[in-house]
Amino acid sequence: MSKEMSYGIAIKRLEEIVADLERGGIALDETLKLYEEGAKLLEFCQQELASAEGRLNEMRLSEIEEKLSE
Amino acid sequence: MRGSSELTTGPIPVGQFVNLIRSTIRNDSLFQNQVIKGEITQWKSYPSGHTYFTLRDSDGQISAVIWQGRCTIDSSISEGSVVVVIANLDLYAKSGRIQLIVNRIEPINKLGVLEEQRKQLIELLRSEGVLDRPRKALPSIPKHIAIITGVGSAALADMNRLAENRWPGIRRTVIGVTVQGNLAPNEIVRGILAAGKLANFDIARRLNQPPVDVIIVGRGGGSPEDLWAFNLEPVARAIIASAVPVISAVGHESDMLVADLVADLRASTPSNAIERLVPEFDQHQMMILNFELRITDATTRMFVDWRNNLRLLQSKLLNAPLQGVYNANQQITDLSNRLTTAVINKFGQSKQKLASLGNLMMLAAQQSIAVEKTKLAVFASALNSAHPNNVLQRGYSMISDEKGQIISRTDDLDEGQNIILALADGTAKATVEEIRKESGNDE
Repeated sequence: MSKEMSYGIAIKRLEEIVADLERGGIALDETLKLYEEGAKLLEFCQQELASAEGRLNEMRLSEIEEKLSE
Repeated sequence: MRGSSELTTGPIPVGQFVNLIRSTIRNDSLFQNQVIKGEITQWKSYPSGHTYFTLRDSDGQISAVIWQGRCTIDSSISEGSVVVVIANLDLYAKSGRIQLIVNRIEPINKLGVLEEQRKQLIELLRSEGVLDRPRKALPSIPKHIAIITGVGSAALADMNRLAENRWPGIRRTVIGVTVQGNLAPNEIVRGILAAGKLANFDIARRLNQPPVDVIIVGRGGGSPEDLWAFNLEPVARAIIASAVPVISAVGHESDMLVADLVADLRASTPSNAIERLVPEFDQHQMMILNFELRITDATTRMFVDWRNNLRLLQSKLLNAPLQGVYNANQQITDLSNRLTTAVINKFGQSKQKLASLGNLMMLAAQQSIAVEKTKLAVFASALNSAHPNNVLQRGYSMISDEKGQIISRTDDLDEGQNIILALADGTAKATVEEIRKESGNDE
């Protein structure tokens, strides 16, 4: 997955893949390729969702500045 | 004796000189009943009823006095007020001090002055092209939001609650700053700088957290003066200089501040900033699950189609010439093997959540392939048992003429003819000596 892949781009590409697969009439090799790409994109999207989760940090400005100057 | 006024050649006594100045000032209309604007400092009322202060601005200052009972003083006037006075300039000869004798004093709406400064700042920014610069796009899913606002404020509580509702546990760093008063502009600027450092990849790695990818700077509603920090140039400049997108979220819907004009996104309120930045987790989770299902369904359907095609091919083979059957059988076996390998190779890589999807696919493919393989095996075995060689193995032999034409009836034989006997492990050449027809087999 390229570094420039963003969630938005991944979702757009998934929409295309689903449309292509649902239209059907694709060769075996092409289907496998699309499936493989789709699987990777889905994994990427799941990771994106998971990676937004984290801690809530509340600090005074001075605390943050102190932490940053360490 | 000559009067002192006639002494024109000697030095002038200083008192006389000062009084000369005084009369000059008092007789010049430029210095009398002049309207002057400035800010009050050192405001002090004495028990005598007189009030002394200094009127100043950035370029100069002058002492002033309001004699007791000379004019009414608006109760809002105090240290720091910006006022307009109508005053006469006078010089107090005994101290040589120049001062304004105030006849009238009126407060200027402080906001009026601030508003003027705001307009000038907006004009400056416009002339620099800053207001028309391209804005940075917000991340579709923010990985780390920096919120610069007052700690313990209602605005922060609103933002936190709303963020948790939309995306539970979404990563935030709140930088608590003073949002009104003299300290506010400086702290807000430093807050934006600190958030900018948290957006730096190296610093983020050192702190073992994802870099900040968006900044919200704001506060809840208040009087125009309360919000004023967000109209000041240093704050505007810090927002403009930020490497990551900044959302300005100040006050209420109707408040439009310079920070709003220069930010990458203007949110009408702090809550609105969260609504526009933080997506709804459930919605995205549903969307991805939906993609997963539709991809599985569509691909499975295609595998079913291919399986049906294989069946069709098989039924055609039943009517095909012997050698063709073997070739086709080989081709189908190859195809099956390739399909299995491809499915295992490609879908076998799927992981975790997608593993079940991959397994489902593999299962579907393998099942259909296995069915075809079994059928083909049965078919091939039936073909095999019918092959002439297997008959010869059981002790029968086959006769053909020298051209290889198979002979199965006595009518096709002549006495003295050469024939070829095909046995299980080879052939023999022989000559026909006598022909005897089975009577039951002929009419």
